[in-house]
Amino acid sequence: MAAILRLSVLCGAQGSRGLFLRTPVVKPAHVSAFLQDRLSPGWYGTQHIHLTPSRHSGSKAASLHWTSERIVSVLLLGLLPAAYLNPCSAVDYSLAAALALHSHWGLGQVVTDYVHGDGSQKAAKAGLLALSALTFAGLCYFNYHDVGICKAVAMLWKL
Amino acid sequence: MWSHPEPSPIKIVLTSRHAGRHCLRSHLSPQLCIRSWSLPMMMSICHRGTGMALSGGVSLFGVSALLLPGNFESYLEFVKSLCLGPALIYTAKFALVFPLMYHTWNGIRHLMWDLGKGLKTAHLYQSGVAILVLTVLSSAGLAAM
Repeated sequence: MAAILRLSVLCGAQGSRGLFLRTPVVKPAHVSAFLQDRLSPGWYGTQHIHLTPSRHSGSKAASLHWTSERIVSVLLLGLLPAAYLNPCSAVDYSLAAALALHSHWGLGQVVTDYVHGDGSQKAAKAGLLALSALTFAGLCYFNYHDVGICKAVAMLWKL
Repeated sequence: MWSHPEPSPIKIVLTSRHAGRHCLRSHLSPQLCIRSWSLPMMMSICHRGTGMALSGGVSLFGVSALLLPGNFESYLEFVKSLCLGPALIYTAKFALVFPLMYHTWNGIRHLMWDLGKGLKTAHLYQSGVAILVLTVLSSAGLAAM
């Protein structure tokens, strides 16, 4: 919101009365074309930034990442009752993978939100990758050499 | 038409930052001093907090499996040898399962939002309270198992 306010200030919008009409925003191409037809003298200096379809390819990765995050979340959700009702090696390794990936991506969002600056971000993300890799390795090691995640929880709960 | 001039956008932004300057001094977001705390805001913070705590726990478990000597059973035997009272064991189980249940139920609520459902303010508060009740009940139930 603050970014939109700043943009309109730079572009000489007069008062907040017409703020939302005069605010330049990122709009799909067909909407921008419609707005250009309605230009009035008060529009001076405003800039229309719109994405053309050919420039969408850069944001595809982000969209794919978002969808993958939700898929892993649903998978992990399903693995919880599966671990209780049908504990086995396959569920153990699936849990290890889903847990490691879900926490890696979740902590990645936290890093993106709170770590500012190019260098710090890169370092934090590298550290996070190391931690997630180590966690996954540890869980797989536990599944292979020890009782496995499902059995471990069952044993812990019988205490 | 207007009885008094509307404040310019830049005034709005600067006033908000000024109102939240106490928070800026502590290197916190000024939003924390401006916005009145609400249930959705608290629950969102808790969702992140429980997520980070759970991740920490899972990582601790994974790294311990790689570094610590002995197998899982030996550590369980050690805990059994402490002869902890049933009340303490129940409390410990509750403490373990509470953040997991909160994060799971609230996670389902997040997925519903991603589908575009339940985004009205009234629904936000209703689902929030429902989640809290579900969390307490499911945690109590699982800890008793």
